[in-house]
Amino acid sequence: MKVFLSLTGLYLKSFYNLPAKAAKGAKFDPKTALKTLGIGLLVLLVVGQMGFIFGASNMATYEALAPLGLQGIVLLNVAVIATVLTLAIGFLTALSTYFMNDMELQFLAMPIKPRELFAAKFAAIYLSEAAISVFFVATALVIFGIKEAPHPLFYIWGFKAALLLPLPALAISYLIQIPLMGFARFLKNKQAILLIGGVIGLVMALGFNIYYQTMLGRLQDPAWIAANMAGPDALLTKLGRSYPPAYLTWRALSAPASWDAVLSLLGLAAVCVAGPALVILGLSGRYAKSLVGFNESHIKKLGAGADAFLRAKLVKRPAFLSLVARELRMMNREPMYMLNGPFIIVLMPVILGIMVVVQRDAFLGDPDMAGLLAMMQGGAGAIVAALSGVFLGSATSITCTSLSRDAKALPYLKSLPISAGRYMLAKLVHGLAFAAFGSAMGVGLVAYALRLGLGDIAAAFGAALAMGALLNLGGLWLDTANPRLRWDNPIAAMKQNPNAVIAIFGAMGLAGGGGYLAFTTGMSTGAFALWFGLVPAAAFVALLLPYPRYAARRLAAIEV
Amino acid sequence: MIELSGISKTYAKSAVKAVDGLSVTVKDGEIFGFLGPNGAGKTTTIKALTGVLKADEGSVRIDGVDLTAEPIAAKRRIGYVTDNPELFARLKAAEYLNFVADIYGVGDADRRERTARYAGLFGIKDALAASIGSFSHGMKQKLLVTASLLHDPANWILDEPMVGLDPKSAFNLKELMRERAAAGKTVFFSTHVMEVAEKLCDRLAIINRGKIVFIGALAELKALRGADGSLEKLFLELVDEGEGAQA
Ligand SMILES: Nc1ncnc2c1ncn2[C@@H]1O[C@H](COP(=O)(O)OP(=O)(O)OP(=O)(O)O)[C@@H](O)[C@H]1O
Ligand SMILES: [Mg+2]
Repeated sequence: MKVFLSLTGLYLKSFYNLPAKAAKGAKFDPKTALKTLGIGLLVLLVVGQMGFIFGASNMATYEALAPLGLQGIVLLNVAVIATVLTLAIGFLTALSTYFMNDMELQFLAMPIKPRELFAAKFAAIYLSEAAISVFFVATALVIFGIKEAPHPLFYIWGFKAALLLPLPALAISYLIQIPLMGFARFLKNKQAILLIGGVIGLVMALGFNIYYQTMLGRLQDPAWIAANMAGPDALLTKLGRSYPPAYLTWRALSAPASWDAVLSLLGLAAVCVAGPALVILGLSGRYAKSLVGFNESHIKKLGAGADAFLRAKLVKRPAFLSLVARELRMMNREPMYMLNGPFIIVLMPVILGIMVVVQRDAFLGDPDMAGLLAMMQGGAGAIVAALSGVFLGSATSITCTSLSRDAKALPYLKSLPISAGRYMLAKLVHGLAFAAFGSAMGVGLVAYALRLGLGDIAAAFGAALAMGALLNLGGLWLDTANPRLRWDNPIAAMKQNPNAVIAIFGAMGLAGGGGYLAFTTGMSTGAFALWFGLVPAAAFVALLLPYPRYAARRLAAIEV
Repeated sequence: MIELSGISKTYAKSAVKAVDGLSVTVKDGEIFGFLGPNGAGKTTTIKALTGVLKADEGSVRIDGVDLTAEPIAAKRRIGYVTDNPELFARLKAAEYLNFVADIYGVGDADRRERTARYAGLFGIKDALAASIGSFSHGMKQKLLVTASLLHDPANWILDEPMVGLDPKSAFNLKELMRERAAAGKTVFFSTHVMEVAEKLCDRLAIINRGKIVFIGALAELKALRGADGSLEKLFLELVDEGEGAQA
């Protein structure tokens, strides 16, 4: 048990890079304090935003169902969503922490039972899942509580259910991943499997999103609700049959002050704990085995062809080009960077594109849509296209994590005879190349869907480029000012990097806010080109000019 | 030539001086050994010397070029082997060498010839098509050494270069150091093994807790030693005195 607890603690520290206790005699640094405060505020902002989104969606569900006397279904919905949400997030987290680094191979050499090792990792990930679940469920409990004033036990059962629901979701994630990785060992290609697993996870997350959107849409339709939510053949009964934990949660919360509630909750606990218990009992050994050889890769021996190989590969290029090529390779060859970065540009349009292609005619043929379509083709479409281009062009997190990702190599890079400015501008060029690619994808897709004219497409692409460039440069400034340099798992430089969160929110804010203003003010094409093209372009130049000097100063100050 | 004068460095996150008023001059054609126990400040000094860390005080000149005033020109004159070869795991070895050669502006013929020579010498030529992540620790170390020589630097700076090398490779590396010194180039390396320093250095410095406790020629160090004591023992005594003075 002691081993298990200290391993869990170690994993938690390692995942989240918890600050170590300050060394004795360490200087008080107002900058560090400010940074901590800033990150604290950011966390609050993100939590607040999530709370708002969760709260709003729960509210919408409640308001759609209450008039029909079906508000109890809100509770079922909450249980289902808490499960699916933790499944999607947990799957990706479990995958990206499946093998963290060679430290874990050392664990295998220590007198640690595979069961302790795996259980500790499971527990560490579970804790963050539980936090998300509790948070989501709490927003629903509060809304339901205010509206319906249930028995106080309602909150206690709700809290317990929130803690229990992520357990089977995480167990399922490992149930899929452990055999997959074991198989990968046989195939000797874990990187590819990691990539495939990541795609599965992302598709799950997106699928969840789509499902959720459709559900919210359908809730506007009382006829649909009446047909599907009530009656013997209702969705509810089907769900109850297909996913007991959700059903049991619903039962416990529907009549909190009853023996039925207690029994339901006991049942829920039994069902939820059974999953992890079985996975830990049954798969720990396999898990430990699958860790071995994770860093294996195929060494190609050159033999007699070595000299020919050197002649072909060792070719002089301009230094800057070489810097950009290094950025590109370092990012695209790390599966977790690739999946959370550039791959988004391809994945999002593929999924949305399929929907558009499938539904285009039905969508555009709807008489209600005719007016909207006319508006879109009359200039508003260019704005939508531009905004989707901006979003794809800046969702890659390339620049806003670029210095953090280089943390391990920084001591070496700083010894090379290149100016900090050139080194960092190579990162910007990397980001801009993908911004252009993302803009083309985003604009192209919307242009195709809305049948935009060439003029609109050109204006939208120009604007997307200008704004994407600005956002990427802003991200670079951020990561230069406050890089995340100490991490164990490369994913920490990317996913747990506050800069990436700020950048995504910045992009959404700019795209959303700009779009809102453009629509409400009924902007002309000329004004659009000015505000969405020229102004960001000018801002880009204004931010770019002082950047190299700033980068040089910051890099010189970094102690690695 | 490498000139360090009055280098001090305190890390932002700590209160102790990692390097404290350190001055060293290494002349052309010299192999200079930098000795000290773990945590003495060897790596910190080398990082200040290669421009990786900004020293709080003091100046660094490489072949007379001031590192702070003209960092690029100064860095061009250095070949650096870091103490941590865990970098760029995702790059293929040949890509990495090509990258380094591009940064230093090495021509096609030179980079091929030098890669063939040094990678061949260390027996990693066969593996150059593989990704660095698949290399053993020693192989990575050899790759770093190869990369550091691609631009034929006048000043070769190595941080614990023997760690992880097999005897034959360590021998080859020492031979390379001697060869470069004989050609009038400067070699500066750190180690905590007295024996290595004894066999290789023209001059050496011993540091402890950021301060030099001995600097001079090997002969001077040998003169310090009593009739029976070994250099190893002397080294330990010097370092111990340092501890006593600080405590
Ligand atoms: N990044 C850092 N931040 C804070 N303190 C550091 C950092 N790197 C080194 N130190 C401290 O500076 C001092 C000197 O460390 P340095 O790495 O220079 O020693 P070293 O002589 O190279 O040791 P070794 O033989 O173990 O490599 C030590 O006290 C160490 O704790
Ligand atoms: Mg060291």
